Order: sequence, then structure tokens, then C-alpha cells
Amino acid sequence: MDLDKLRKTAAEIVSRDDVKYLLGWRRGTFGYRVAPYFIEDAAGVDELIFSPLCISNLATYLTLVEKLPVPRGQEPDQRKVALLVKGCDSRAVAQLLVEKGIKREEVVVIGLPCPGMVDRELLAEKYPETEAAAEVKWDGEDFLLVGEGGETAIPRTEVLAEKCRLCRHPNPVISDLTIGEPVEPWATADDSGVAEIEAKETAERWAYWEEQFSKCIRCYSCRNACPLCYCEDCILDRLDPTWVNRAVNFSENTAFHLARAFHLAGRCIECGECERVCPAGIPLGKLNRKLARTVREEYGFEPGLDPEAEPFQAGYKPDDPEEFIL
Amino acid sequence: MSEQFEPNIVAFLCNWCSYAGADLAGTSRIQYPANIKIIRVMCSGRVNPLYVVNALQQGADGVLVSGCHPGDCHYMEGNFYARRRLKLLKELLEFTGVDPRRFNMSWVSASEGHKWKEVVEKAVEDARAAGPFDQFRRRQIGW
Repeated sequence: MDLDKLRKTAAEIVSRDDVKYLLGWRRGTFGYRVAPYFIEDAAGVDELIFSPLCISNLATYLTLVEKLPVPRGQEPDQRKVALLVKGCDSRAVAQLLVEKGIKREEVVVIGLPCPGMVDRELLAEKYPETEAAAEVKWDGEDFLLVGEGGETAIPRTEVLAEKCRLCRHPNPVISDLTIGEPVEPWATADDSGVAEIEAKETAERWAYWEEQFSKCIRCYSCRNACPLCYCEDCILDRLDPTWVNRAVNFSENTAFHLARAFHLAGRCIECGECERVCPAGIPLGKLNRKLARTVREEYGFEPGLDPEAEPFQAGYKPDDPEEFIL
Repeated sequence: MSEQFEPNIVAFLCNWCSYAGADLAGTSRIQYPANIKIIRVMCSGRVNPLYVVNALQQGADGVLVSGCHPGDCHYMEGNFYARRRLKLLKELLEFTGVDPRRFNMSWVSASEGHKWKEVVEKAVEDARAAGPFDQFRRRQIGW
């Protein structure tokens, strides 16, 4: 990755009059951590990075930002938001465009072909984090850990994030400009997590999810981190009608997780943010990927590839599968 | 002598076809199991999948959604949307380990009183085979 070129381009874009700020990543203050970075002027680009640790999906911030009412007599801020996107993030942007969550003229999309990200927790398990900030680089197919103890080569398979093992679109699907050469899509691993559960008996599947759902503390991190969970009036916040009670008990947890998974059916672009931020370690990605696979295999639809597409659940085909109907 | 388990089944019927079909079954004096509790909705497309989850939380052992045959929808396309959504819900329930027999969907037109009887019999038989539902029942709050 040519960081100089990235920073130069970022500086150019940030200094444009019609750009409010640029969303990128910078080093965190501890170990392998990387923080989202809002750059408002060209002087800030020196801290901008793009490394295998930049796993977080910045498209979340497009809809997470609070839109305050414009005071009387003032013009609304029409400036654009620029953001760096990997393959999966760009699908989130495309899906947001499909749903009209954002407008195309509101964003400047800077595409970064992504050779695969590191799962920070896996990495920290094998190479414990120290207080000093460490860096990870791409080294051909593999990763290179640059820390206090010098450079360590890490085989790709050892620390590659799960979502990247299953990634089918490493190159941005939409972008205003792309930095770096497109990467060759790699052979994806089998989705063993989902297949393993599917192979179980009904009662065993329930035993598995019962354990998972009962861990939930209902912090709603999964909702907040998800780039596509941005309803202003979320059913989880509603009291009338109360779709899902606020009580943290097993029944409501299950209803919440079924609702969350269902609301992302045909929309989830498999960026894995929900699973990554979950403090209870619930494998939410498996629920999402199961539904995404059903949509892909039975309806031939993949979300977030075409900004002009019709939203999956807002459309139909007369010959949709109906073998389950009596 | 042990009594046979009698499941509670919540049925969401569309106003224009299935509800009329069930009505026809009634006026034609067709006998069918009394386990079904009917909720009339204007269209099967109005059935939010969370209704199904909520019914299971609140005491149903099985849920049945029934609408017009494809192409016959009073609102032209409501049942097509329902078909997509509820297929995904069924997959999701099955994946999480809820017995797939608890959720059924059917097309019953206003003239199909006999088909309604068969659908209800099938749904009751399915729910009975699956047994009482206690997987994520909401606990009663005592005042």
C-alpha cells in the first residue's frame, strides 16, 4: 500500500471547498488498536493510515452522524463527506444508496482494494499486545508484524479475519477514485460456521443458540456499529407498540436477535462489524450469513453491488420459491 | 389416561381470500380442529415477521399465515412480498433451532373451504407433533 499517495490524495480532497471532512483510520493509543479518524484539514493527513488492522467499517459514520435542525436564517451544510472504503465497506455505501439512506452527491468515495484484514483478537492471542503501538503490514500474501521486538512474519491463514476468508468482493464496487492496484479475489473458504450449525439436529441447534442468546446484554452495539442499521425510529426503541421489551431476559433477547437478523436479511453486506464489536462474543455473523446465503442461492440476489438495484424485501418475482407453502 | 396435547395456533388470515375461505368453511359446516385462533389482517403482506415471533413469545405453539393465491391478491402484489419475507423467517427460525413445523404458510382462496380444513388439520398436526412450545416463551409477570 502506497501510504504517501493515499495521504497526498487525502490532503487534496480535504482541502476542496465542497468537502466537510474525510473519514479514515489512524493508529490507536495501545497495541494493535486502530481508531477511526475524522480529518478536517490537510495538516491532519500525516496520521492517516491504511494497514491490515483497519478492519472497521467507516460507512457507519455516514448515517450515525447526528443531523441537527438548521437554525432559522442559516443554510444547511451542503458539503460532502469523503471516506475511505475497502471492498466490503463500499458495498455498505452502495446498499445505503439503494435504500436512499445517503445521496450520491453527499459522499466522496475513495476506494482501497483490500488484500485482507487481520483479526485483532486472533493476533493478540498469538502475539500479545504491548503498551507500545505496533504495526502490521502486508507482505505479499502474508502479514508482517512490526513492533518493539523487530519484524515478525505471520502466515496469512493464521490471523486473517473470518469475514475476509469468506470475502468475495475485495475490490471496491463503487468509488470516485481508487488508490492502489485492484487485488485478485482469492479462493474463499467454506462457510464452515454456518454449515456446521445447519448439519445439527433441531434440538442441538437450539442448544447452541440458546447459549449464545442468553449471553446477550442488550447493549445494542451490533445495531450501532452496523452501517445498515440506521432507522431513525428503531423498533427496539419503540414503546408503543412494544415489539421487543427492554427487559434483558432470554425471551426478549431471542426476539431481539431474530428481529435484528431479519431486518438485515437481503441487506447485510457481511462486513462483520456486529460480530466484531459484540462484547459478549455472540456469533451474529452466522445468522446474517445464513440469510445472505439463502437470498443469494434461492433468489440470486446479492445486496450492495448495484446502487441502482431494487431493495430485496421491497421487491418480488412471480416465480420466487414457494415450496414451503401449503 | 393421558390427554392429547392441544396446541394453540395463531392464524393470520388475509381479509379477502383466506378469511372468507375460513368463513365459507364455517357456513358450509365443515368440521375442523378448534385449536386455531384467527386474527384477520387486511393482507398477508401486512404480516410483519415479528408478529410470528411475538405470537410464539406470548403463548402460541404454532403460527399459520394464509393469504390469496399468487396473482389473486386484492392489492395486486401483497402476497408476493409476504412470500419472500416469510420464507426468510422460516429459514431463520429453522436455523436457530425452532421446529420448522411450528410455522406454516398457505394460500387459501375465498372458495376453498375444504382446503382451509386441510390446512388447519395439517397445521394442528404439525404443532402437535412438535409439542408444547417453551423455547422462548415470555414469562408471565405477576403483579
